[in-house]
Amino acid sequence: MIETKTFVRNEFSEYYQKHSSSIQPPTQIEKREFGFLILKERVMIRHKGFKNVDDLTKFLKTLVPSDVYYSSAYYEKPEEEMEEKGWLGADLIFDIDADHIPTPCAKIHDTWVCGNCGTVGKGILPEKCPACGEQRFDEKTWLCEVCLESAKVETIKLIDMLTRDFGFSSKEMSLSFSGHRGYHLHVKSKEVQTLDSMARKEIVDYILGIGLETGFHGLEERKSRVLVGPSLDDSGWRGRIARGTYEFLLTATPEELEKIGLKKKVVDTLTQHKETILESWKEKGPWGAIKGVDVENWRTIAQRGAEMQSAKIDTVVTTDIHRLIRLTNTLHGKTGLKKVEVPITNIERFDPLKSAIAFKEGTVKILVSDAPEFRLGDQTYGPYKNRQIELPTAAALLLLCKGVAEVKEEK
Amino acid sequence: MAKYPFTNEAAEYVRELDLKIEDMSEPILTRAEQRIEEALLNALVSTHSRNDEIEIPSFPVAVMMVASTADTLVKKRYALAEAKRVSLLLKDESTETITKLAENFNWKIKLVKAAVEEQTYNFTLHLTDFLKNTTEFHEKKWKLVNRTMLNGDVYLTKDETARLLAEEARRHVEKKLDVKGKFELPENVAERVERLKQMFATQRGKIQLEEFPKGVVIAAFPPCIKSMYDGLRSGHHLSHIGRFALTSFLINIGMTAEDVINLYRSLSDFNERLTRYQVEHIAGGRGSRTRYIPPRCDTLRTHGVCTGMDEICRGLRHPLAYYRRKLRTIMAKVPVERA
Repeated sequence: MIETKTFVRNEFSEYYQKHSSSIQPPTQIEKREFGFLILKERVMIRHKGFKNVDDLTKFLKTLVPSDVYYSSAYYEKPEEEMEEKGWLGADLIFDIDADHIPTPCAKIHDTWVCGNCGTVGKGILPEKCPACGEQRFDEKTWLCEVCLESAKVETIKLIDMLTRDFGFSSKEMSLSFSGHRGYHLHVKSKEVQTLDSMARKEIVDYILGIGLETGFHGLEERKSRVLVGPSLDDSGWRGRIARGTYEFLLTATPEELEKIGLKKKVVDTLTQHKETILESWKEKGPWGAIKGVDVENWRTIAQRGAEMQSAKIDTVVTTDIHRLIRLTNTLHGKTGLKKVEVPITNIERFDPLKSAIAFKEGTVKILVSDAPEFRLGDQTYGPYKNRQIELPTAAALLLLCKGVAEVKEEK
Repeated sequence: MAKYPFTNEAAEYVRELDLKIEDMSEPILTRAEQRIEEALLNALVSTHSRNDEIEIPSFPVAVMMVASTADTLVKKRYALAEAKRVSLLLKDESTETITKLAENFNWKIKLVKAAVEEQTYNFTLHLTDFLKNTTEFHEKKWKLVNRTMLNGDVYLTKDETARLLAEEARRHVEKKLDVKGKFELPENVAERVERLKQMFATQRGKIQLEEFPKGVVIAAFPPCIKSMYDGLRSGHHLSHIGRFALTSFLINIGMTAEDVINLYRSLSDFNERLTRYQVEHIAGGRGSRTRYIPPRCDTLRTHGVCTGMDEICRGLRHPLAYYRRKLRTIMAKVPVERA
């Protein structure tokens, strides 16, 4: 019987033999640092440099890594140690990962095992183990459609901001699906490359709405105590604040209104005037339309609305100007799927679970210990529990890479 | 030109004069020295109108003299004082002059007349130019998220544009002063530099930040640090940024690397070799040899490390500044809890 790790390596090797021409080298490959995760030992090889894409693909074919990364940064000497590399600039990158987004599925498909007492649980990782209080867990995450859809929604919000507010054209941006649970967006324009970490932090704060004050976006009390605020079709954060407020008030329950810090009396007033509020959007908006709701109350509501309009990017990835990120059209070691480019203008119709399939031929016999129902391409599989089954290679590899199955065939 | 001696035009003028530092006339040297003296004493370079042939070259000469001190504080004060002079002048300039100066710095600036509600904007500036000149500002109105931005253009009033231009000038002067290595000045110039240095030595004591006293005073920790410190001691794990912030904070207030390492010992996945490497790296003992300082408050806020502000936090923007201030109030009423 062939060992699972060896089997996966053989498959990955075959992929890089056959598909090396599809590897997309990053722009200015000679100035980038590369990093590779080794399949068996799970160690990282860093500080590698390549003069051209041929050298890189040759290297991939021999090493057969589980994951391939390159630096968002450009260096004078990419192979030197960090301090000696000579930083020249870096692409502006954004990472949206289901891990960082509260999703409707509540991650019920993820399991965790306490690192101390072995207690097992499902869903979002608790802060500490309910049994022993330990804070270290082994996690098994799953890629589910709901998670991926949430990530997509956040990505669409991000693209909207980058296009309308930041003025980046779709030509300057490239978007890809990571091959696991998220999307990466790169801005490669010359003008953003030299932005330092602090400047990028400001961009992160803009996207997430951190430090946003609605008073700077037109929500204020004018002389003679007239309340004014932004309209739905305003641009930038003004419009987002209005749309977020609209959206929030449309669905918010009295409990949710109290939860954001509104007094019972204000909540009652808002609930009684739901119709008036809805109607008001046709004119100047609800600000000042109801007695008993003052400017501070509206700011509290608008703040919550703004939060709904922000795009949930990972704060660390964007501010790190030395970041390593996965190379497009290489395999993801946790799924056997590949990182694929997504057409920015057509993201709504992009199906990650179809486009990211790297292995399209053959079947593999495997023994699945435990797997929820999942879809790949047009086919739905599972759920499986201690089952021996023959699956198409992509589905089998996903389970093998996730560590929930082992190979049951000679090869 | 004399008003804005850092422009390309002014630099070209000086180049054409083809003056060497050895044969600068006395009046130029005196005005250069005066620029620096005013900067160090009053934090502002004066703007009296005088002979252009003296005023314009006096700026590059002053820059050379300041650079030769190889003193960071002197350089900072000088750049700031020149910028302040610019800032005062810009108040009375027309939008045309402001545009011209902005273009001198290769800003992507446009003259507009846009009214958003009651606010009238005169300019738009590309966000990269905006960001490069606002990261040192801390007022909320300078945060990108609180600006009106469309298509990469940030809307600005004339006064705001002038403020950013002065900041650009400050950065420009600072960059000019950042000369690597030593260089020789002719004796008569070196004497003037020496005189300035001595004058500043008495001034310096008042400006420079006092060192922290020995011993770590937990009661003076800002809320974010206190929460991480307590958490760590009861075995809670910290985010990457959290670890960095806590470690660099403790190192900077005088805790030894050894004591910091011991703090991490209570973690279930404690790895002595790795922790030692990381802590010593932050302390400046390895590789880069620079000692790191903790991130500023707004950075901690971005990464979710800030636990919410208390009264002292409100006026400050750095955890170390918090410690320094709280320490002062505590010191007034000794004895204190020591770690």
